[in-house]
Amino acid sequence: MSGLRIVGSYFRQNWIIYSVGVSMVAAGSLFAAQIPSILGHVTDSLRDSKLGTMEIAAYVGLIALIGVTRVATGWGGRILVHYKGRQLTYRLRKDLFEKWGTLSPSYYHRHSVGDMISHALSDVEVVRELVSMGLNQGVSGIAMLIGATYLMAVHVDWRLTLAGLGPLLFIPLLVKLLGPKIRLQSQLSQEALGAMAQTTEEVIGGIRTVKAFGTEQVVIGRFQSRVDAIVDEKMRFVRLSALFGALLPLLVNIGFIFVLGYGGFLVTMKAISLGDFVAFTLYVAMLRMPLEQLGNVINLVQRSIASLNRIDELLHVVPEVFDRTGPLMDIPLQGSIRVKGLTFCYPGSDRDVLNNISFCVNPGQTLGIIGAMGSGKSTLANLLLRLSDPPEGTIFVNEHDILHYPLARLRDGIAYVPQDGFLFSTTVLENIALSDEYPDRENVERCAGITAVHKNILSFPEKYDTEVGERGVRLSGGQKQRIAIARMIYKDAPFQIMDDSLSAVDTATERRILDNLRELSKSSPGHEEVHDKATIIISHRLSAVQRADEILVLDEGRIIERGSHALLISQDGIYAEQWFMQAGQFEEGESDKSPADVQREISQLDLDVEIEALEAGRLEEAS
Amino acid sequence: MSEESPTRASLTTWIPYMKPHRLRLLLVCILVVAVVLIDLLQPWLVKEVIDRYVTVSHPDSGAILKMSAAYLGLVLLAFGLTYYQDIVLQRIGLSIVRSIRIDLFKHIQSLSLRYFDQNSAGRIITNVVSDTEALNNFFTQFLANTLRGIFSLVLIMFFMLRLDVIIALYCFLLLPPVVVLAFYFQKKIRTVNAEVRHRLGLVIGFLAENLSGMAIVQIFNQEVKQQKRLDERNRALLESTILENRWFMLFFNITELFGDLAIAALIWFGGKGVIEGTISFGVLYAFVGYIRRFFQPINTISQQMNPLQSSIVASDRISRTLQEVPDIKEVAGAKAPELSGLITLADVSLAYRSGHPVLHNINLTIQPGERVGFVGATGAGKTSIMNLITRFYDVTAGAVIIDGKDIREWPLSALRRSVGIVQQDVTLFSGTIIDNLRFFQADISGARVKEACKLVGAEPFILRQPHGYNTILSERGSTLSAGERQLLSFARVLIFDPRILILDEATACLDSRTEEVLQQAIHRVSAGRTLLVIAHRLSTVQQLDTICVLEQGRIVESGNHNELLRQRGYYWRLHESGMLLEEAA
Repeated sequence: MSGLRIVGSYFRQNWIIYSVGVSMVAAGSLFAAQIPSILGHVTDSLRDSKLGTMEIAAYVGLIALIGVTRVATGWGGRILVHYKGRQLTYRLRKDLFEKWGTLSPSYYHRHSVGDMISHALSDVEVVRELVSMGLNQGVSGIAMLIGATYLMAVHVDWRLTLAGLGPLLFIPLLVKLLGPKIRLQSQLSQEALGAMAQTTEEVIGGIRTVKAFGTEQVVIGRFQSRVDAIVDEKMRFVRLSALFGALLPLLVNIGFIFVLGYGGFLVTMKAISLGDFVAFTLYVAMLRMPLEQLGNVINLVQRSIASLNRIDELLHVVPEVFDRTGPLMDIPLQGSIRVKGLTFCYPGSDRDVLNNISFCVNPGQTLGIIGAMGSGKSTLANLLLRLSDPPEGTIFVNEHDILHYPLARLRDGIAYVPQDGFLFSTTVLENIALSDEYPDRENVERCAGITAVHKNILSFPEKYDTEVGERGVRLSGGQKQRIAIARMIYKDAPFQIMDDSLSAVDTATERRILDNLRELSKSSPGHEEVHDKATIIISHRLSAVQRADEILVLDEGRIIERGSHALLISQDGIYAEQWFMQAGQFEEGESDKSPADVQREISQLDLDVEIEALEAGRLEEAS
Repeated sequence: MSEESPTRASLTTWIPYMKPHRLRLLLVCILVVAVVLIDLLQPWLVKEVIDRYVTVSHPDSGAILKMSAAYLGLVLLAFGLTYYQDIVLQRIGLSIVRSIRIDLFKHIQSLSLRYFDQNSAGRIITNVVSDTEALNNFFTQFLANTLRGIFSLVLIMFFMLRLDVIIALYCFLLLPPVVVLAFYFQKKIRTVNAEVRHRLGLVIGFLAENLSGMAIVQIFNQEVKQQKRLDERNRALLESTILENRWFMLFFNITELFGDLAIAALIWFGGKGVIEGTISFGVLYAFVGYIRRFFQPINTISQQMNPLQSSIVASDRISRTLQEVPDIKEVAGAKAPELSGLITLADVSLAYRSGHPVLHNINLTIQPGERVGFVGATGAGKTSIMNLITRFYDVTAGAVIIDGKDIREWPLSALRRSVGIVQQDVTLFSGTIIDNLRFFQADISGARVKEACKLVGAEPFILRQPHGYNTILSERGSTLSAGERQLLSFARVLIFDPRILILDEATACLDSRTEEVLQQAIHRVSAGRTLLVIAHRLSTVQQLDTICVLEQGRIVESGNHNELLRQRGYYWRLHESGMLLEEAA
């Protein structure tokens, strides 16, 4: 029930508007309840032939006045309530997104984006329905029921009221009973439809296989059974909804018959006036809709409690990474990154993803990290960025534990390129200058030049103002990665981490970019604000880390080899083996040559590969 | 969206589907009329009570009770009829859509691969799933609601005219403004609603992107900026929903006001009539009852414009798909020749788009039992040759002859069963392993399936699954490794025992250990079959009898491994550089 607090506190905060709105809606319905009664009076006056033109005009004026008043008050009240309800939707979406901004990747790992979006949309929508439409209908239905009952029971005849309204009171009950069943069955038919969609998807996706096996008839049979299942589920739904659709008018009609028979009888007995009788028949017709809505409101309350609880739970997720309390190192990052005996396992798992990792990167230095998938490379990057918190006393920047920096400072000081070069669906310019509120166009172009993507960008229709599409779909993989690296350079942070971010770039361009980067990370007189940067390059391609000052080879979270490229090659271990394999010479087994010979041959081969790849790259980008 | 504007005429496509149901449709119409009639009797009955039994000199309560009892009978009847009519109509709609769905799917299955290459899978799926559902809405919602709406309206007018022609005509004056109003507002609400959906889409898109890229947002410290950007979209959505609500409220309240004012006007004219004695009070009462019911059917009908429009668009798309003609046709009375596995490509050319040939005058003979490899860069035409041999596409010129008969004169099913193909991407279907292996054909015995699995070496891992052969593949086998999936695909082909076996880069994505298992399987399996292997790793084809090197749609070299190396041509260069081919691919 805790979720209802959200709505409760929202009502409290806006109590003035809500009390005004709700009172107006109620007043509108109470006014509306007068009309049949007035028509009853008109009837009696007509019968008694007491009416002149003036009296008729007065009645007509009264009806018109009440009509206008009830519509105006009801309208105003509903608008207020709806308006506030939609604002709540807006606020909940905003709060949810703010909360999501504080949650770390491990949370995103456990929850699908689809589910989260459905919270932000459907759950929030259900809440909105409750506080706007539900509130309006509930208030107006109850007000009308009370008004009509009062006018009929107190002023006319309570037995007739009971007879006429009694059957109608079953309507909310009926809605409450059948409503959820109909909803469930409608979900089942949706699922049947989903199953058909899935079969279609499978068959169309695997059409080559289907055709190759000549099994069109088989899949048609499968499809047919899915379609039949839809018909079955839908017919079950139809039976329920048809029952509901037939029972509703039946209840109203039975009420009407009671009024017709019993009321007619009372009129002939002179127990009630003709006008009362007329009013009764009109009330029965008038109350049908509000009573049906009351039933819906009851169901809505139940559904929205579930939604509210889900939202409430989401808003109260405790982020795993947050600023520590106590005095923090609230200064810009500088100096070296040092990792000391870092062992890490994700919460809830007992497997160490990283085991006793130590290294140090000083300004101006480059560290290369290589390893297969699952060797812990990316986890290491996540820990450096505090996307997950490392254990206390394992990672230091300028000899201070990174846990003692405010998150904002830490992340301001590190520029990062993700594996997939994630871009946002905005312009190239804004993507490169992501870290900047007001993009510096000149600087953006300089950065794009460094990553060899400037010329590509100039060939785009709107150059730097070209929209890249959702996640950069309009760009090739290589372009995306190079723009993502430009984004890192633009940020101009003292620490740089590249997580396998050149995989889609050909080797020649890779080398050019890396050379440019090395130039840049040393102090250059041209740009006074550029300081020495410490760079970490994570890669599965050895060529990317070849010129690093130190290379770590990770395997299942441990460092199994470390040293410079030359040292590792001479050690003839895993790194050397992979180096030869990636250069394509492994199978030939040139064991009789010295590594130096091999190296010479390889660079020759590299050149060919590069030319080939460059061609391919140009082709790819031209298309 | 469709390229051409949809035509209402496309809805006539479905008339043949409705024909078998015409009697039932007629019945539904009659039932609707009956139900509406019973409902509309109410004001009439009250009028009768008032004029005949109450406002006379000798009020007759017995007659009133009798009338009520009779009406009770009618009401109970209406209850049954409403229920029955609803079910009949819905069943008609569902079975029409069922037939259309099945016909559409059958038709799509009959289309050739060209269609699937030219149309995205997403589009085809939308066609089969959503478009037919929109059509379903046409039959079950549009038809039901419009029928009821129109009959109600007509019958109300009929009752009114019966009561008093003059007042009825006055009341009809209300119709044009109400209709105009209803349709105007529905149109307006449609456009504001489209705007709401558009803005909602922007919010969803933004959320989807930012939630999947949240790490980047955090690393670049952009949480606040992104919150601001969400805020812009969120606020825009808020504004459009408020606007939508305002329009909706305006429409609802104006209708209500109209109703009240109409009653006031009735009292004014009718009241005077009663005083002057030109109409009875009962008639006035009945008019009040009917005028209230005037608005609902008009609103209901005006609300059907949206579903109608999307049904028309959907029906247009469906009928266009149904008009697609398969370009691979079976010759009537075609018979398969004696099988041996001899393939001849006689001067074969192929162009997927006219003027852009991908194969040029290929001449090639493959003996029964021969093992032939095809190598070449992406786009060289390897897969195109396989497309021809399986008759996924027909040649543009020349002929593909298998066992002495042009494959265009083969029955398609016989051809496809003689030619088995294992592809790089393994397609598995939701269902059990054994059903996948025998392609849901229960008449294929379990023993045969097991035999094939043993032969390719797939049995050990299948038996490791929780229920062995009867394990239900979760998410179409995505939990299996690539190698395991490929083993299943091999076994599946073998079960159908094709004389010609094509491996289309079947071992490309596997690690070297799995590849070795598969290579052994290939070796065992290829005995007694003609084997065609497409590869981009030379090691895969080295052992084969013949290797064809393709370049830009031509066979530039052919021979066995050693012969080709001696030629010192393209193959030799590929071999020397080892990984080049992979880079190129």
